[in-house]
Amino acid sequence: MIRSFIRYLKGYVKIRIQGFSPERFLNMCSYHDIYIWGLVPVGNGYEMYISITDFRRLKPLARKTHSKVTLIKRCGFPFFLFHYRKRKLFFFGLLICIILLKVYSLFIWDIHFEGNEKWPDETLAEYLKSQGVAPLMLKSEVDCPGIVKNIRKEYNDIVWVSASVDGSRLKIQIKENDDTLLNESGDENTEKKTSAAGKEGPTDLIAKADGVITSIVTRSGVPQVHAGDEVTKGDILVLGRVDVVNDSGEVTGYQYQQSDADIFADTELEYTDSIPRTYQEKVYDDKKRYQAYIRAGDFRISVGTISNQYENSELTVTEHQLKAGENFYLPFSWGIKKVRSYTFHEKTYTEEEIREILSGNFQRFCKDLEEKGIQIRENSVKIHLYADSASASGPLYLNERITEEADTEILTIERKETDEPVGTDD
Amino acid sequence: MGKEQLGERLASAASMPKDVVMKAAVLTALGNFEVCIENYRGIIEYTECLVRVQTKGGQIRLTGKRLQVEYYTNDEMKITGKIESIGFADGRNKE
Repeated sequence: MIRSFIRYLKGYVKIRIQGFSPERFLNMCSYHDIYIWGLVPVGNGYEMYISITDFRRLKPLARKTHSKVTLIKRCGFPFFLFHYRKRKLFFFGLLICIILLKVYSLFIWDIHFEGNEKWPDETLAEYLKSQGVAPLMLKSEVDCPGIVKNIRKEYNDIVWVSASVDGSRLKIQIKENDDTLLNESGDENTEKKTSAAGKEGPTDLIAKADGVITSIVTRSGVPQVHAGDEVTKGDILVLGRVDVVNDSGEVTGYQYQQSDADIFADTELEYTDSIPRTYQEKVYDDKKRYQAYIRAGDFRISVGTISNQYENSELTVTEHQLKAGENFYLPFSWGIKKVRSYTFHEKTYTEEEIREILSGNFQRFCKDLEEKGIQIRENSVKIHLYADSASASGPLYLNERITEEADTEILTIERKETDEPVGTDD
Repeated sequence: MGKEQLGERLASAASMPKDVVMKAAVLTALGNFEVCIENYRGIIEYTECLVRVQTKGGQIRLTGKRLQVEYYTNDEMKITGKIESIGFADGRNKE
């Protein structure tokens, strides 16, 4: 395969040998290391293929063996070029092709992200664009260490970045911090804490709901409740004010700090959800209108119309944008607009359906709670069916974190101490 | 003892390949459709049904149908086609 390709590139000819002793000619060829292939006997001579360079060496051999060499066919790329030598545009096109290839390879055409889960490609591409890194920029202007530094600065939870130019594609490899992905709720807490630290005011922790404390772990502040205590909403759980007492047990001053504790409590939540038994169902009739369009920037060409006099209608637009590579969007898009007419029909749910919907809603609600880190201990939610509606209601028994931050009340000490020593002296 | 016999003895004694020492022809047949010949001197006759090749020890006759020389160089040639017989004939002048 590759050999025949090389032969084609170098060019070869088909010749016919005739004469007194063509075999002698063949043997002479092999003696002079002339490569012959496709040898076929024809009449009283032979036909064979031979490369151009070897063909030029044949003349003395032919004279010596008194044989006649006739050229039958020219094959290969050199002959092809020679044949089309007068087609100037062809060569011009070839030249343009080479130049364009070179010019196009000077640009970045695509940005490829790897390893990102939390941050989508689009967001990262948008950010890079704001930093002046976008497709169609000059390859020589790409500053990989700068990109790496910027991304690390902008996104705290990206722990490792590598940027490299791979052909005409900018490849950005990212390693995200998986820990922050897992407990985002915890992350929020720390953020809140830091914002509170920014204020630098003392804080208490108060109950955000009624409940019975099940566990309390205090890191700073003075705990005011114990496990098993019943608390109501607004009760102070951890006090940010620490009393400073003297030897005789009297309060001489206060130290303030930001309270920090994990307090979990059993709480109760009333769940209600009701839906009417009747509902409006969309029924599509067969009236539809389509409009297809092609858009280039602000200019658009469309076929068909969607203007209509339907009473109720639904408009859907599907649009595709042309993109080269992964993140290089070209300003061309095409799409189709569709208008469907429909009417409302009143329908009623069957008992089965309504139960399914209500329990589905409830399950989704529970899942949301669990995602927030709230544990459901028990539920007594029941489904009630009425004549024109149905509802699911009942208490949910939960175990959740019930702390909420509040500013600590600042107390001032009455200046009694100065009087007292005087009194004792007396 | 002829010169050839001496060469043969030498070759077997020194356990050297005979195709090198004695310049014996090497024929490699692949099925009945392809024969590769090495160590030959030249083609004597070549038609579609008969190929005669001169070697040091004698001639090789290949008969068959649609015989074709795929390639032909100084040290190797390949013949394809439907090969019916491969024969060896002594000397240059027989046949």
